[in-house]
Amino acid sequence: MKTLVRYEFQKILRKKSTLIILAVSLLVTAFFYILPILQYQTYDREEVIRGLAGIAFDRARYDQLSVVLTDDYICEAFRQYQELFENPDNIGYDGNDSFLIGDAYWNFVAPRENLLYMLAANYDAPGEITGLNRLPHMDLEAGAGFYQAREEKISLLLDTPSRQLSQAQKSYWQNLNSQVDIPLSYGYYKGWEIILESFELLMFALLAVSIVLAPVFAGEYQAGTDAVILSARYGKTRLVTAKILASFLFGLTAFTLHILAAFGPLLLTFGTDGWNLPLQAAGTTIPYPFTFMQAVLINLGILYLVLLAVISLTLLLSARMKSPYTVLMVLVPVLFLPMFLSPNGTTGLYNLTLFLLPYRASMPEIGKYISYQLGGLVFDVLSMRAIVYTLVTVCLLPLIRTGFRKHQVGA
Amino acid sequence: MKLQLQHLSKSYGPKRSVNNISATLTPGVYGLLGANGAGKTTLMRMICGVLTPTSGQILFNGKPIDVLGERYYAHLGYMPQDFGFYSDFTAREFLFYMAAIKGLGKKEAIRRTERLLAMVNLQDMADKKIRSYSGGMKQRLGIAQAELNNPAILILDEPTAGLDPKERIRLRNVISGFSREKIIILSTHIVSDVSYIADTILMMKQGRFLIQEPMATVTDTINGKVWEILTDEHQVTEYTRHFQVVNLRHEGDQVRLRIVHETPPTPDARSSAPNLEDLFLYHFNGEEQAL
Repeated sequence: MKTLVRYEFQKILRKKSTLIILAVSLLVTAFFYILPILQYQTYDREEVIRGLAGIAFDRARYDQLSVVLTDDYICEAFRQYQELFENPDNIGYDGNDSFLIGDAYWNFVAPRENLLYMLAANYDAPGEITGLNRLPHMDLEAGAGFYQAREEKISLLLDTPSRQLSQAQKSYWQNLNSQVDIPLSYGYYKGWEIILESFELLMFALLAVSIVLAPVFAGEYQAGTDAVILSARYGKTRLVTAKILASFLFGLTAFTLHILAAFGPLLLTFGTDGWNLPLQAAGTTIPYPFTFMQAVLINLGILYLVLLAVISLTLLLSARMKSPYTVLMVLVPVLFLPMFLSPNGTTGLYNLTLFLLPYRASMPEIGKYISYQLGGLVFDVLSMRAIVYTLVTVCLLPLIRTGFRKHQVGA
Repeated sequence: MKLQLQHLSKSYGPKRSVNNISATLTPGVYGLLGANGAGKTTLMRMICGVLTPTSGQILFNGKPIDVLGERYYAHLGYMPQDFGFYSDFTAREFLFYMAAIKGLGKKEAIRRTERLLAMVNLQDMADKKIRSYSGGMKQRLGIAQAELNNPAILILDEPTAGLDPKERIRLRNVISGFSREKIIILSTHIVSDVSYIADTILMMKQGRFLIQEPMATVTDTINGKVWEILTDEHQVTEYTRHFQVVNLRHEGDQVRLRIVHETPPTPDARSSAPNLEDLFLYHFNGEEQAL
């Protein structure tokens, strides 16, 4: 079997088209992921700082901001903001909102702007965005009440009528939320944040793998080699297994290369800082009790399951269709049609299906409280994707075998 | 060893490609002849298990081949007509690959590969990519892969198609050299190839076996019906219109015609010993181009 797998792997790799597709796809993926580096910009008082210098500048700012967000710390931060706001010379007005300007802004707000916005958003009602406007008027007599506000906001979120969450689903999310360690830690996590927000760009890697694997069976039919291999001793048995294993091996290798090309430059430039910070550092209502690195690895795991399912679907179509082109004619819409469909909520068959389709399934959607209830069982979207794509792969494998075994030469 | 075809049929919609064929094949070389579309390739594909019969079954030593599965395919070697190769592979790699699919161990694969490369005279080109091969070289490689597992049943569909005479003779000798303990089914449009190496002739017409006869006696049915006459060129058309002319040869100002007919076409017609080509043309003349 090892020999057959090796030969099948060689057959895939040796084609010029494989190398060209891989090279193009790797370059496109690397380009997409290098863009946030190239386009990065931040500000100091004098100028815009771009690219690597901007990233280094912001990372340095966080030296002072890698803290545990205790209620005292938060209260003190708000108090300082309010004190600065008491001086009219520090206040600007744009016709709608008042805000800190001048030294007050550059010395206090600018270095910790993300933190302040994240903290302030904790007090907004679900769907409301007030920025820092709330801070000057907050009553801090009894402390900031940050974590109580968080709990209240999550309760309000779960009770929002449009979410149509059952009691079981609400309990599921409350339970998940209760596993979040508080007080939260905060710090620099930009690299991980970009990764979490751009998983869907790896769809090109999936497409590339599918294009390369489309001829695994159909290519034999097209080249006329089907008769020879199907009439050989292991042509209908071990060879099929070898082709499937070689395809998975190729797919996993190619996809891993894409991940390295994608995440490598980001983590090299933005650093791995924040790997152990809770996701809630990016938004307090995120329900998953994971660190940034755990979230990335979990979503990556799901994406690998999506990959295996897409490879299985590619192989099934390849085993059943006469040419690799018809395989792709079916496959490309399956992969990319969901890109043009937008969810209009987090409930209902349309939305819940959309979140499971390959394109959407690559997006972590960690803050959307998307859940699936099957009888008394509740699954969050990440678990559901893992289950669905594992099932798809497991169900398709025997169909691939049958498809090739029952292929009728020349019919 | 016995390969039995029992009431074998294959239909594509209303068209019956193979129509209720029954035969029992034992070791020997079978020449499969027939016109285009007679059902030869379909029959071979069914024997090779890559096409499912609409009805009937194929038994190998008394057991259905679809039940035997790997145990049947282990004894089979198949060279289809116009089959493709992996152009990025060398001949040696291709044979190693086929050896792996055929379940040969590494040592056996090397031994058989080297032997067959020598047999089909491809040793010198064995490490060149197949894409650089001529049609004849590919045909020879096709035969080598079919024979790789030293199969008991060897099916060769048009192995000499597209070859120049020299290549054809070389390939014919290669096939002749295979063990006589095998069942070899050989389909070719070169009747003389078959007449040289076949023990039995299977002639197909419209999906049925028209003739299943040993080579030695296959032409008996037209014994005394083959005639040669010498005539003027301007009379050729007239003869062609009224008789089955199977050959025509210019001799000076005159033309020698070979005719298959129950009675002498002219009083001075000379009786001639029939050959396979006469028989073939006798049955297929007037149909689409014979294969």
